Amino acid sequence: MLLNFNSLGIWKWALLTITVLTAAFLLMPILFIAALSFGSSQWLIFPPPSWTLKWYGALLSDPRWLEAAWTSFRIALIVTFFSVLIGLVASFGLVRGRFMGRSTLRALFMTPMILPVVVLAVALYAFFLRIGLNGTTTGFVIAHLIVALPFSILALTGALEGFDKSIEDAAVLCGASPLRAKLQITLPCISHGLFSAAIFSFLTSWDEVVLAIFMASPTLQTLPVKIWATLRQDLTPVIAAASTLLIIVTVLLMLIAAAVKKGLKA
Amino acid sequence: MAMVSLAKPDNEKRNARRRPVLSRDFVSILPALLLVLVFFVAPVLALLSRSVTEPVFGLQNYIALLGSSTYLKIFFNTFFVSVLVTVISLVIGFPVAWTLAIMPQRWAMVVFAIVLLSMWTNLLARTYAWMVLLQRTGVINKTLMGMGVIDQPLTMVNNLIGVTIGMTYIMLPFIVIPLYGVIRKIDPAILQAAALCGATRFQSLRLVLLPLAAPGMIAGALMVFVMSLGYFVTPSLLGGTANMMLAELIAQFVQSLVNWGMGGAAALVLLVVTLSLYALQLRLFGLAGGERT
Amino acid sequence: MTPFLQITGIAKQYGPVMAVKDVNLTVDHGEFMTFLGPSGSGKSTTLYILAGFEQPTRGDILLNGKTILDTPSHKRNIGMVFQRYTLFPHLSVGENIAFPLKVRGWSKAAITERVRQMLSLVRLEGFEDRKPVAMSGGQQQRVALARALAYDPPVLLMDEPLSALDKKLREEIQHEIRRIHQQTEVTILYVTHDQEEALRLSDRIAVFSKGVIDQIGTGQQLYNDPSTRFVAEFIGDSNFIDTDVVSVNGRFARLALANGAVIDGVPTHGTDFRQGRASLLLRPERIDLRLGKSEGVLPGAVREITFLGNHVQVSVDTQLAAPVDVRLPFGHAALGGLAPGLDVSLDFKIAETHAFQLEDRVPAS
Repeated sequence: MLLNFNSLGIWKWALLTITVLTAAFLLMPILFIAALSFGSSQWLIFPPPSWTLKWYGALLSDPRWLEAAWTSFRIALIVTFFSVLIGLVASFGLVRGRFMGRSTLRALFMTPMILPVVVLAVALYAFFLRIGLNGTTTGFVIAHLIVALPFSILALTGALEGFDKSIEDAAVLCGASPLRAKLQITLPCISHGLFSAAIFSFLTSWDEVVLAIFMASPTLQTLPVKIWATLRQDLTPVIAAASTLLIIVTVLLMLIAAAVKKGLKA
Repeated sequence: MAMVSLAKPDNEKRNARRRPVLSRDFVSILPALLLVLVFFVAPVLALLSRSVTEPVFGLQNYIALLGSSTYLKIFFNTFFVSVLVTVISLVIGFPVAWTLAIMPQRWAMVVFAIVLLSMWTNLLARTYAWMVLLQRTGVINKTLMGMGVIDQPLTMVNNLIGVTIGMTYIMLPFIVIPLYGVIRKIDPAILQAAALCGATRFQSLRLVLLPLAAPGMIAGALMVFVMSLGYFVTPSLLGGTANMMLAELIAQFVQSLVNWGMGGAAALVLLVVTLSLYALQLRLFGLAGGERT
Repeated sequence: MTPFLQITGIAKQYGPVMAVKDVNLTVDHGEFMTFLGPSGSGKSTTLYILAGFEQPTRGDILLNGKTILDTPSHKRNIGMVFQRYTLFPHLSVGENIAFPLKVRGWSKAAITERVRQMLSLVRLEGFEDRKPVAMSGGQQQRVALARALAYDPPVLLMDEPLSALDKKLREEIQHEIRRIHQQTEVTILYVTHDQEEALRLSDRIAVFSKGVIDQIGTGQQLYNDPSTRFVAEFIGDSNFIDTDVVSVNGRFARLALANGAVIDGVPTHGTDFRQGRASLLLRPERIDLRLGKSEGVLPGAVREITFLGNHVQVSVDTQLAAPVDVRLPFGHAALGGLAPGLDVSLDFKIAETHAFQLEDRVPAS
């Protein structure tokens, strides 16, 4: 009864109300920001007195914002590459291996995902100060790789567990070398896992704030660091414009992910 | 038959040669393992060790940390806000997950998309939105004053109200999504059986649905609570310096005060609480958390 | 002459578990050999050792007199059809069959021609461009068969390829496999736990039990002359009756039944019956049933009559420990007046019975 939508009676309306209100609560700030980024008021008056594109103009003509965005993009791409590569190789070992302590290793690989990121940030900051990686692209990449790798391993071990190894064995018996069988048969079969690993890794790095704050230097900062630094001074609508662009990137990636998922099902 | 005796030692050699094949799987884990050991385990352990070695060897940092009312207030704030956020997320999240699990598929997809969108929207963008929405001249105050509910603007930023609202916004998806999975897996026939046994709707909810969903709720709640304890960005932007939380304190020790000893000590406190709660979750639900139980 | 395929003393140990203890087997060129046994009997492990996915702890495998254990799987040139569907899901049927040929560097024209031939062999002409997901399980396994045979492997391994299919489809494809075997003369090693499938397909059957082969022979040999109680149980239906061994005379024994009757000349296959007890095999379909008490060896009373289509199963209470099952063909003379509780007597030819060790089977040597 309680799990049949139409036999809930009055409860149905109570539940629907809560759900609609919650959905509105979740959606409102996002729409609000998008609206404000086109509003003319410096003081973020809502509804805006008139509409304008000047904040986008300010954003896109400021080389510091553009450079931060480029830095973010570059770092996220490198992180994605290594996260998927290392994660893929490790997932094969984790799923197929028969050695002791496999589940312990899995748990260890997941820890960066569950540990408070501020602890990792402070620890890496100390370490990088000592070995001179602070404020370098390498430092950024390593820091983000640590938090992206769990997502990658999670997606890829999941995909590999769902993949019937007999298919790869069949390719090997057909005469393909183990490597060739993996590249030509297994990888296409787990492509959905590869896509999720890539998208999650990219978004993890692209959106990451806390590690980036500690890794950044005045000459090298990512978009989130730039927003963070600006935000601590004032709430300028330029941030609304930057945020809206970030949201668009997210929505695009989500749509791609959904399309890939759908395409694989069809 | 003479061939057999010739072939035998060769055969044994061959079998011995093949044994290392097993460890090739281990070799493939090495890059990830090295990365995690060198850039995660070692630095974290190094940081923690500084809490008992700086400035001199001893427990002075922990005594200072636990003996000062300023720091105790920060611990209390952190704990209080985390409990509040967890409870509110559960109270809102359960009915939403329940509705999502049973409402017509098409509408459920729309709500689900909104949940995912909010979850994946840049954290700073979301926090920025709440800073603007909640400020004294913000939309919420203006609306409430326009409706005549209040005549003075409410202070909702730079205090724990703002932090709680902002954090709840962020944590809600982490309750809704796993709980949705748990409720989806409950067989509706069980509740039909409860109704046939004569249970009222409320009895069915209290005696059947809630207990069945409880593992998912506990798992989600633990996760949200742990994440809240260590949250950095939202508390520091919405809470202001007067209402610091633990993660911010750690950052401040290290960045502004350059006090690695105290920073390490505070980090250890956070780590111990976090890891013991995760150990509890692992004990209760296994590695996959509530989603796959 | 060198045997075509020879397996000598193969053993496989996983940690403390011996999955395969000591398997010895010789297979002729073009033979259809089935490995029959319950799960965990070592039949699949032996097949996987042949495929090169597992390395034996001991023993050797010779193909045309040369060991294949040093050759990695992908160079063994062996074909295999798996239990689960293993078509490459992202490739079309044609591309699936072409895959082993591409790997071998065949020319495009040769590949196209071969794919066409193989599709006609498995009677799936016109399916080249289908994706595996758009095919039934039976069709997928036929494509898998075509793929495994495309490169003319000397040996084809089949690991319970039909276990996921329903009964009717299974019989249909069994016919196909039989036909393809005759057409290609490929040597087939076929694993199954289904005795009917084994009997229908094979030239010879190797019955696996607990990591060894209990007996190798044609289906008839296994049925008529099982060398162990396990084989007798696995092939055909069986009643086992505990008896006391009175004496052993060469390969025959004199046994005393619990009701006092003594029978002489029971085939023993050389078992020595050290404990003094033996298990007597009576095939339900080899027992005759007569109404009334007569001079038959086993008097009893009808306990239950079950109609099973083309035959009737009668369960008879005797003075022995457990009831004896008798299978009577439909239309048998005794069936007319048969009712539960009636006195009957059972008769059988002693030459068709077998005596086995009571507890543990003697491993085939």
